[in-house]
Amino acid sequence: MSELHAPSLATLRTAADDPVSYAQNWKDTHRRPVIGSFPMNFPSEIVHAAGALPVIVQESKTPITEGRSMLAEFYCGYTRSVADQAALGELDVFDGFVAADHCVQLLGAVDAIRYVRPEKPVHFAQFTSAMDDAWTKPRVDSRIGDLKTEIETVVGTAVTAEDLARSIGLFNANRRLLRRFYDLRRSGLIRITAGEMQLLVKSSMVMDIEEHTSVLETLLDRLVLRDQAPDDLVRLHLSGHFCHAPKPEILDVIEESGGLVVDDDLYTGYRYISTDVPESDDPLKALSTWYMQRNINAPCPTRVTSKVDWDTYLLNSLAESRSVGVVVLMAKFCEPHMLYYPELRKALEEHDVPSLLIETEHEGIPVETLRTKMETFIERIRRHSAPVPA
Amino acid sequence: MSIATPRDKTNRLSSTRVGGKMTADYWDNIFTAKERGKHVVWYNGSALNPIFQAAGLEWCHGEAFAARLAAQHLEEPAQAAGSEYGYIGELCSYARTHLGCAVLTQKNVNERESGVVGMLDQQELAAKLPAPDFFVNGYAGCSTGQQWDAMTYRVFDRKLPIFNVSIPMLWGNKPDAGYMRGEEWNEASTYVEGQLRELVKFLEQQTGRPFDWDALSESMSYIKKASRLRLDAMELCTLAPTPATYWDWVASIAPINFLPGNQALVDYFAGVKAEIQQRIVDGVSAVANERYRVYFDGIMNWNKLGFLTRKFAEYDVAVVAGRYTHESFWQEPQLIDVDNPLRGMGQHYLLCPLNHGLKNLQELLLKRLDQYSIDGIAFHSTRTCRAMTNPQSMLAKAAERERGVKSFVFEGDVADASFYNDELFDSRLEAMLEAIDVQRMKTMV
Repeated sequence: MSELHAPSLATLRTAADDPVSYAQNWKDTHRRPVIGSFPMNFPSEIVHAAGALPVIVQESKTPITEGRSMLAEFYCGYTRSVADQAALGELDVFDGFVAADHCVQLLGAVDAIRYVRPEKPVHFAQFTSAMDDAWTKPRVDSRIGDLKTEIETVVGTAVTAEDLARSIGLFNANRRLLRRFYDLRRSGLIRITAGEMQLLVKSSMVMDIEEHTSVLETLLDRLVLRDQAPDDLVRLHLSGHFCHAPKPEILDVIEESGGLVVDDDLYTGYRYISTDVPESDDPLKALSTWYMQRNINAPCPTRVTSKVDWDTYLLNSLAESRSVGVVVLMAKFCEPHMLYYPELRKALEEHDVPSLLIETEHEGIPVETLRTKMETFIERIRRHSAPVPA
Repeated sequence: MSIATPRDKTNRLSSTRVGGKMTADYWDNIFTAKERGKHVVWYNGSALNPIFQAAGLEWCHGEAFAARLAAQHLEEPAQAAGSEYGYIGELCSYARTHLGCAVLTQKNVNERESGVVGMLDQQELAAKLPAPDFFVNGYAGCSTGQQWDAMTYRVFDRKLPIFNVSIPMLWGNKPDAGYMRGEEWNEASTYVEGQLRELVKFLEQQTGRPFDWDALSESMSYIKKASRLRLDAMELCTLAPTPATYWDWVASIAPINFLPGNQALVDYFAGVKAEIQQRIVDGVSAVANERYRVYFDGIMNWNKLGFLTRKFAEYDVAVVAGRYTHESFWQEPQLIDVDNPLRGMGQHYLLCPLNHGLKNLQELLLKRLDQYSIDGIAFHSTRTCRAMTNPQSMLAKAAERERGVKSFVFEGDVADASFYNDELFDSRLEAMLEAIDVQRMKTMV
């Protein structure tokens, strides 16, 4: 039984489960364009400031059909799904598409959109991914400037500094609220399941931000806090899974096996809401500052840097949340994750933190096999008297 | 009853053996770099080697070494070391082979500060790389390439300096965008040129010596000459039957991609061109009974080179050109200003065939189909190389739609033989050749 306000949760679920219908309804109501973007570093504030609805395109639940002739089978589920949705016309609600990340598989999917929907504007604002160089921020400033111009052209509205500052304020407020839920979950004074937390974040990626904030405020108002955290469950951290949300049934099995997910670094999770945009005098430059800063707050394996490490960040997170085990969720064929995973494993082993790797696929994974693995993992932790890294 | 061995219908160039010897010598030299007190840079992606050459460094290209191991069927120890370290088999097989080498190298460095690693086990070529003093990455068009070196940096305990050249993709946002034209091209050229100037400063810091700009100009003058000779020789292969094939150009990748810019490089390509010219005079073809002219899209399976060379020829197919061989490796020498080479160098790095959006790739493919009178395309669906595989299905459709050119797809990989399936290859190639025959008959009617 969920401890969150059911009607509010249902509102978020409706949007998160079917973002395209939500976007179509919004478009019909507001008579304004809808712009599709892609993970993991797109500044939605610009689209909002132009008066359009920014929507991060989500993986569809349906099997890949037409998209099979667009991208090879060894692409991640998200990119194959995006190509499939485009080929089937399911993304036609969008008036344009914008991307900022340079993942080679993602670019293949976005190129597929250009191929099947040549009439749609598709803009690539490539944010430099090497983060330590003197020219990175000026370059990203420039890409964001181009992005703004492109969005203004597609939407037909000029974005003023005041518009953008207001949008930044709204998105920051939303992120702050979501982080409040994370704090409460870590404290143990409220049980928010991993599936529910995903719902809170995923819906923020696709909904009108003011409407979403309003629902979050209602949820917070209706919370009933416990006196103390339960001590019979194994506190877990979920790690990985970029771009798209892990399937809720996987999250359910993790918790049904005796785990209590208290933190994560998933993209459809804490990674997405980790960082606010500075509310400074120059809102455009603030967006590139946000881009740089979020890689420091939650280091990302798709960025290149020698100043911060995901493994160090993960160990610190475990200490803060008092998690005693890590479930690594890896989307099959996700190269950044495959590349970084050995470093995570090495760091966790060095600190004697139990971890379990679960590879996920668009087509799903056998849930009962997963349940056996998870139950064994939980049992292993219980016997292990796992220390929290210092 | 004895089974007759099929006649080998290939006729490879003999001049490329010189390139093979030059490349072997190059690697032997690399293996002793530390003994000679040289600074070693490990790099990936673009051909930054002329800059390293001018800086007095020894340079070790990760992809090239992975490809070499695979071509010699010696990749398994490195891949096993990578797998044991935790790299999953669906990861780029270049990266996982090279990272496996890094793991072995680092292990040996820790065990023995000998300079040359693998002293304990010299037969394992995978462990012979000299440990790097620093890393440079300049990977165009493939996000994995950049992250690969970020991980190599971590395998070496995050202690060695690393420099990243960020090469933006030629995506084609603007209406005027195209191959070597438009605002995007000019703007990206300036951006990369600026970073190369910063790279030179970084190298000066690492070596403690001022950069030798004259040496860079000199090496680029050789590369420019070699490139022109290579392109002239390729152009001669537009004749049918072709005097040399794609496989000869594959054999010439190492020299043009990472060997030193010097007179030997020029002599090598002069030799290749001369042999091809002589073949034309003598009426010698590269494939006996050439009946089909095929274009190869994808990076080759390095551990299947000889096998595929013979296989295509068995079917009277001359593979005459390919995306990797013909759209890479100093292929636009007119861009190089030997007195001020950095801009032209940066522009070549941008022109990597992985670094274009579909629009540019389609333009390039159609040009080559016309130039070489192509009948069919072999799309190597390169299992762990998403960058090369990205646009293939759309390119196949464009070739059929725009030129009526048939194609087939076969699975394989750059450095992992396990993804290749011979039965599927045969049936798909045969199906394409049959479709070409039917098309020809219809044309005759």
